[in-house]
Amino acid sequence: MIDFQILIDNFNEYPYLIKLAWVVSAILGALIILLTVYLKFVRTILRKKEANSLEFRKEYEALLIEYLYSGTEEGGISEIQKNIIEELKKHVTVKSKRKVIISVLYKLMNEVSGEVTDALKVLYKNTGLMHYALIKINSKKWHVKAKGIGELTKFKIESVQEKIEQLLVHPVREVRKEAHLYFVNLFYFEGLNFLDIIKTPLSEWDQIQILEILQKSNDQEICDIKPWLQSKNETVVLFALKLAKVYNQYEVKDELMNMLSHNSKQVRIQVIEVLTHLYGIEAKDVLKANFTQLSLEEQISFFGLLEKLVIPDDEPFVEKHLFHKDFEIQLLALKILKSINIDKYLGLNKLPPSQKSLAMLKLENV
Amino acid sequence: MDTSTVKIILQILHYLFFGYAFAAITSYIVLSILSGKETLKYLKKNSFVNYKDILSSTESPSITIIAPAYNESLNIVENVRSLLSNHYANYSVVIINDGSRDDSLEKLIESYDLEKIDYVVNEKLKTQPLRAGVFKSKNPAFEKLMVVDKENGGKADALNMGLNISKSKYVACIDVDCLLLEDALQKMIKPFLEVTDSKVIATGGVIRIANSCVIRGGKLIDVNLPKNLLVQSQILEYLRAFLLGRMAWSRLNGLLVISGAFGIFDKEIAIKVGGYDTNTVGEDMEIIVRMRRYMEEQGRKYKVSYIPDPLCWTEAPDTYKIFISQRNRWTRGTIETLKKHRKIGFNPKYGSFGLLSYPYWLIFERLAPIIEAVGIIYFTILVALKEVRWEFALTFLLLSYLFSVLFSIVAIYSEELTFHQYKKKGTGFKLVLLSALEPFVLHPFILYAAIRGNIDYYFNKKKKWGEMVRKGLSTVEA
Repeated sequence: MIDFQILIDNFNEYPYLIKLAWVVSAILGALIILLTVYLKFVRTILRKKEANSLEFRKEYEALLIEYLYSGTEEGGISEIQKNIIEELKKHVTVKSKRKVIISVLYKLMNEVSGEVTDALKVLYKNTGLMHYALIKINSKKWHVKAKGIGELTKFKIESVQEKIEQLLVHPVREVRKEAHLYFVNLFYFEGLNFLDIIKTPLSEWDQIQILEILQKSNDQEICDIKPWLQSKNETVVLFALKLAKVYNQYEVKDELMNMLSHNSKQVRIQVIEVLTHLYGIEAKDVLKANFTQLSLEEQISFFGLLEKLVIPDDEPFVEKHLFHKDFEIQLLALKILKSINIDKYLGLNKLPPSQKSLAMLKLENV
Repeated sequence: MDTSTVKIILQILHYLFFGYAFAAITSYIVLSILSGKETLKYLKKNSFVNYKDILSSTESPSITIIAPAYNESLNIVENVRSLLSNHYANYSVVIINDGSRDDSLEKLIESYDLEKIDYVVNEKLKTQPLRAGVFKSKNPAFEKLMVVDKENGGKADALNMGLNISKSKYVACIDVDCLLLEDALQKMIKPFLEVTDSKVIATGGVIRIANSCVIRGGKLIDVNLPKNLLVQSQILEYLRAFLLGRMAWSRLNGLLVISGAFGIFDKEIAIKVGGYDTNTVGEDMEIIVRMRRYMEEQGRKYKVSYIPDPLCWTEAPDTYKIFISQRNRWTRGTIETLKKHRKIGFNPKYGSFGLLSYPYWLIFERLAPIIEAVGIIYFTILVALKEVRWEFALTFLLLSYLFSVLFSIVAIYSEELTFHQYKKKGTGFKLVLLSALEPFVLHPFILYAAIRGNIDYYFNKKKKWGEMVRKGLSTVEA
């Protein structure tokens, strides 16, 4: 007791700075001890959670497979299936268990098709899982909302489309994106109507995802993309161009020709690429005439088009650009010349080195 | 000078040291808070992302993995196999054999059935010339692979050759001995594709240490904590640096470095700025600073992104000699880059890049070892002169030690609550114990290496990369 008093007296004599440093040190020390002990607890919980999740997964996988194989021949719900639904109803009230059930259902949805998918949808609705997804989409937290939409998309729940329609213009990008994916997943090309109204940009990531969903669907009857090619939203235009290419939209060639003078360079480059893909031979003369006004990227794209659609009449134009300032164009011009007039191409070898382009010199050394 | 003047000078010096330490600690606290916020946002954002669509899409942008190799004969075949096992649809692998003197090329030719092809290199960036040429595989199973054999020019030169060869929009520059997880490319490409209001010029990922981990068929099977204390300490250091430091700088859009071990770049911008600088040993930092500088000077909105997923695993030095050599090089790289781009520092024209990122790196990265060394020398003099006020010295020593331990523990928590890679029982306690030991077993060597790096930079200009001996990761037969 006396020793403590001496320590306290000594402490009181220290300058304020030291006193403060000791107080902070004591707090830090206490925090270190607390966090060390708590870490053990956290790690144990995490391990336990993982083990439980594994165990639940096995249990639910077995249960759900049994569910899938015990349907009636008429496609209705059998007694066994009803019992399984009742059993699962008790489990979905626990968040951790619900998570595992959803993930097993996701996996099964990816592996099955047709009537079996319908059976899973019935289970999803009747166990109350859909109810929890609806709670999620009403959440104030954007990531919970987005997760909820994702879930309803996966199980193709059409009855909530009005609610999700309102989220197409949600201020958070992720929520909007999930809402877009919902409509595309459920209604394919018809679900693309949101492109008429969106004012926010559609990212490259979103575009790829939407295209992939469309390509995987059985419905390959594409709608009219012309209005989107004229959209004021540049990303919608870029997406429509992707659709034109993937779905070989020869009927929009005239629109594409008009778009060669679009305000956006990125759009113009992509238009040339789509025209190349669609054998847009008509574009050649227009681009040749404006060649010097084009940006370097457009010029390279145009030479890509020429490489595919060249005819002997193009020879003078190609020859003119054998000495273009850009190496890539020099190389493409040589390649094109070789394909239309091999003698002239071989004749270039006779030029003295000082009169050769960099591409010619490089080719010689290969 | 009379004694009172000396006293005043000493007093000022003390306050400067104190102020520096206080500012450093405050910055660490602020960075950890920002990093926590950014990590949480990232996890929320990606908790419902479907990466499968990007994987199979033919519309996904092309990526070229560029991996320079120099005398990597020991593991080159397995390493290339690992790079070829990525799940991304639209990618290719370009191995640049940078004038290796061993049989790397022969091994690659034999293992991957390579044949020489006619290939015209568009020399947008000046590099050392080709040696044996360009090779592609006759086996369609390896159609994504291309091997380029060139004269030795160093890592930066090899990467530049890769930039010349690549036909993709994006390039992933990696160390050939790194283990890339199968989903690495789709996760790393996402920031480039999802941003619409600015341009992402580069994305970096967390680098994890693979020593003692089990790898089978180019895949990471089991994560273990190594027995070697030096490697263990580096694991803790990496956790701090990547999970607490770089995530925060990513939030501030102030990242100045993306690890040379793994990063994805917008090829167009990388070439526009002149590619990698072959005259520096810190080419990974230098190219990021130059790309940022270019974007700032062009007045274009841009971002250097960063993702916290453990996607790239590498071998860390397990001897002090190699470790010191590596850190010496890192120090010289930092000095060279900051010196070369000194125009940016404290320059409002460069916005937060010039007023925040650059000054932070200069003050708390570049100058930190020098200030620490000066502090130690000064303290030693005071001890010799019996001028130390021990109650102050010991109190603040204890305080800084406790703070460093706590900071490491926060990094451990950050790892546990997010990616939880070290799952085995007892590892948590070992990591906490390491937090207490690390200031003694790692920090002094980092300080020594940094001081040596400064000395070498100013007095030994000829010193280049230094030694980095690889032993190879623990691979198990498939």
